[in-house]
This record gives sequence, C-alpha cells and structure tokens, in this order.
Amino acid sequence: MPASVRSDLEHIFRAAYPKVVGVAARVLGSRNEAEDVAQETFLAFGRTDVPAGEALGWLCVAAAHTALNHLRSGRRRAVREEAASASPGVSPDVAETVVAREEHQRVRAALSRLPRRQAVALVLRHSGLSYAEVAAALDLSPASVGTTVRRAESALREELNRHASSR
Amino acid sequence: MRHPGDGLLRRLLDEPDGVADSDRSHVDDCATCGPRLAQVSGDALDVGAALSFDGDVDVDAGWERLLAGLENAPARPVKRRGRSVRTPVVAVAGVLALLGGASAAAAGNWFPIFRTEQVAPITVPQADLVQLPELDEFGTMRVESRPEVRDVGDARAAREATGLASPRITDLPTGVAGQPRFLVGDRVLGVFTFDRAKAEKALGRPIPEPPAGLVATEFRLTAGPGLAAVWPGNSGAPALMIGRVVAPKAFSNGIPFETARDYLLSLPGLPTSVSSQLKAFTKEGGTLPLIVNQASESSFTTTVGKAPATVLSTSGGAVSAVLWVQDGFVNAVGGSLSTGEVLRVAREIRWAQ
Repeated sequence: MPASVRSDLEHIFRAAYPKVVGVAARVLGSRNEAEDVAQETFLAFGRTDVPAGEALGWLCVAAAHTALNHLRSGRRRAVREEAASASPGVSPDVAETVVAREEHQRVRAALSRLPRRQAVALVLRHSGLSYAEVAAALDLSPASVGTTVRRAESALREELNRHASSR
Repeated sequence: MRHPGDGLLRRLLDEPDGVADSDRSHVDDCATCGPRLAQVSGDALDVGAALSFDGDVDVDAGWERLLAGLENAPARPVKRRGRSVRTPVVAVAGVLALLGGASAAAAGNWFPIFRTEQVAPITVPQADLVQLPELDEFGTMRVESRPEVRDVGDARAAREATGLASPRITDLPTGVAGQPRFLVGDRVLGVFTFDRAKAEKALGRPIPEPPAGLVATEFRLTAGPGLAAVWPGNSGAPALMIGRVVAPKAFSNGIPFETARDYLLSLPGLPTSVSSQLKAFTKEGGTLPLIVNQASESSFTTTVGKAPATVLSTSGGAVSAVLWVQDGFVNAVGGSLSTGEVLRVAREIRWAQ
C-alpha cells in the first residue's frame, strides 16, 4: 500500500464497506454501481486524516452525495438500467422484470428530486445509522433528524402515489 | 397538550427511548395522534421497502480492488471531500447563483447591481460547504442559454468562437510539454425568481418575511463566454490550464441587489459564519466571493500585474491555482504545479487577439 495512504484504512474498510455499499445502493438501485461509488469514496478517504471515530459518518455522507451526483447527472443511466434488470431477486419473468425496472427508475427519480439534505438523511437512516449518527454526520440536531427524514418520506410517498394513480 | 410534530412521531418508530415519556403517553392516548402515527409508520415502511438493499457484499474482493486502485491512483493528497480546485469553483458557482441568480437578455430597465472587480477568499468549514443550498430549491431558475463547453481545433478557433484573446506562454513549467487542447464555452444566461414557499420547503422551516418587492424581482446573471488552453497530465488532472471567462454580472429589475443579498444570506440554510462574511463584501462592492474549503485548500492573496489575485492550493501543494479579475475578465491558471509555478505562468502570459 502506498505510504501516503492512512495506516488504519484496511481496518476501517472491512468494518464499513458493506454499510457504504448499502448507502450507495439505496440511492442507485444497483449493487455494481454502488460498489463503484464505494470504491471511489474509499480511495478519497484513504488519503484523508479524518479521525477514525468520524470515519463511518464521513464515508456514508460522501457515498450518498457521490451516488446522488451520479443520479442527477444521469452519467450512468444506461448502466443503472442494465444493472436493475440483472439485480438478484428480480423475477426472470419478463413482465415482472419490466415492472421492477420501472419501480427502480421511479424511486430513483423521486429521490433525485428531493432537497439534497433530506435525501442524504433519508438514505443514511434507512441504511441503519442511528439518529445521533445521522445528526453528527449532517451537522443537524438529533431532534431535527426525525423531521427531516419524515419530510423526505412524505415527499417520496407523494411521488410514488402520484405515479401509481396516473397508471 | 399540544400534539407532537411529525418528526417526533417518526423518531418514536425508530428510537422510542429518544422521545420524552410525556410525548409517548400523549400519542398512546390521543385520538388524533394515533392515526397520524399510523400514517407516518406506513410511509416509513413503504419507503423502506422501496429503498431496500439486501445484496451480499464481498469485502475481500472489495479490498483487493481498492488496493489495486490505490497503487494506480496518483499520489495526490486529499483531505475531507475536497478535490483539487473543483470544490471552490463549484462553491463559487453556487454562491454566485444564490447572490444574483442568473440572467437573461430581456430588454427593459435592468440595471447592473453586481460586477466582479476582484476575487476575495472566504473560508468555510467543510460541513458548511456540504450544506450550501441549491438555488433551484429557493425559487425558479430559467436557464436561457447554456455554456456548451466544447473542444475546438486550435487557438485561432478558440478566439473565433468566443471573441476573446487566447493565452500564449513561451516558458512552460517543468513537466508540461506539447500542444494544449483548447476548450470554449458560450455565454450563460439565466433568470432567477425567489419563491418563499420553495425556500421554506428546502430549509424545512418558516423563513423571515422577505423584503417588499423581492418576490416580484427577477435577478439575472450573465457569465462568459470563456476559453481555456489545457495541457494534459499523467494523473488525470490537467498538468496546466490557462483560461479566462468574461466576468459574471448580476442584474435586478426590482429591489436593490444588496437588500436581496442580505435577505438571502440571512436565511437559516446558509451558515451564519458564511453569511456574515459575505455581507462584508457589500462595502467593497463588486468582489467575487470565492469559497475556500478550509479542510482541503489553503489560500493567500497576492497580485498579478496590478490586479489583486487569490492563490489556492491543496493541502499538500500538489494542485494549485491562481485567480484574478482584470478588465472585466476572470482569469485562472491552475494545474499539478506549485503555487510559485502557477504564479510565474500567470505573470508571464501574453494574451493574443
């Protein structure tokens, strides 16, 4: 490993990698692409001096932002769609596959339209970070995490309902 | 007793121990809050299902891949989330947009309210940078012209496309060689109108009463055209980049710019440390605020010719840039160079028509 890389990287990587991939996957809906984002995030992290105690929050926020940036830019839309159709657990039945892919795209489109802080708080919370961890990572008060997450869920629910009623 | 807010109901689902006993009891007994809690719970479950991810992650394979990536990555010191000079540039765009909105070529009684005359750095902590709100969450932004950045064949083509002079440098820094690529971008034009309801939604709370006339005022920003000569490097970052852009200008067709700016900067989404620093710029007039990510870049001021200039560098000094404003242009020299090298290049450039 290059000397410029922090010495505790492997320890932190092994502890946090599944969580960081999970954060990105919730945004992108694709494990393959989420792993790309996680790698990108750890590459940047490896050259920082972020204290180990703050590493998980830093990594999760960075992964969420990076994944949301990918969503918004649409840079990897084609890859994402392919990956969605090949995700584990998706029925081989063609009709079901099409519906699952549409659902993927709808959720991700709705997520990309949320205010950035709401989207990140939502993804972190659903990735298993505690209210205190989300609050520390986003510089919010723990009391406002619930409000932020609730607003995001309400907005996402509205988007999904609007689509369902128009079908 | 007052009914608790939705945020508290949401926390009650996840971390009931984080909610006061009196609130828990209230929700248990309240005919209004019971159905509200059910709604919150239903939404949380549905969204949780929509965002679910249960794929297995191969940590060993991930680690091997990361090791390979580290071996191949350029040895560029990075701190926090900052990446070379992109962070302040992006932040500048965001803050400029927040201050002035964007522009359009509508005729009428527009009057200039902000004109870039010099560049001055503001330092903010990384956490604040992440929280800078996006402009389209504060109102409507109608982009009427995009820059359409593109490669052109050579310096002459760049001059013809933009009407600007192109840079010439005879003594390239060590490690920079060959012919540069030339990039050009057209003038950006857009119009921003403040929308109180959207701003409150974005910030998640009520905001102070806007000054009279703000909602009816259109702010416009123009920037560009611009051109750049780029010498490629081995690491992915340019070895050297020299560019200039016609300086951004903001206009208002309604309330004075400073009134609008003070109000926008006082909104709770913008950190107090930044807003108080930004307000100081009204006294100088025409300063382009340049946000420096405290955790990843350092900066100092100097001069290029007779113009004040800001020099930025990543913490390890691997990437540096100098920006200065002169004769209505924002000029920049940057690359995988030391601050001394970018300053020398900046001072030796000749602009050829």
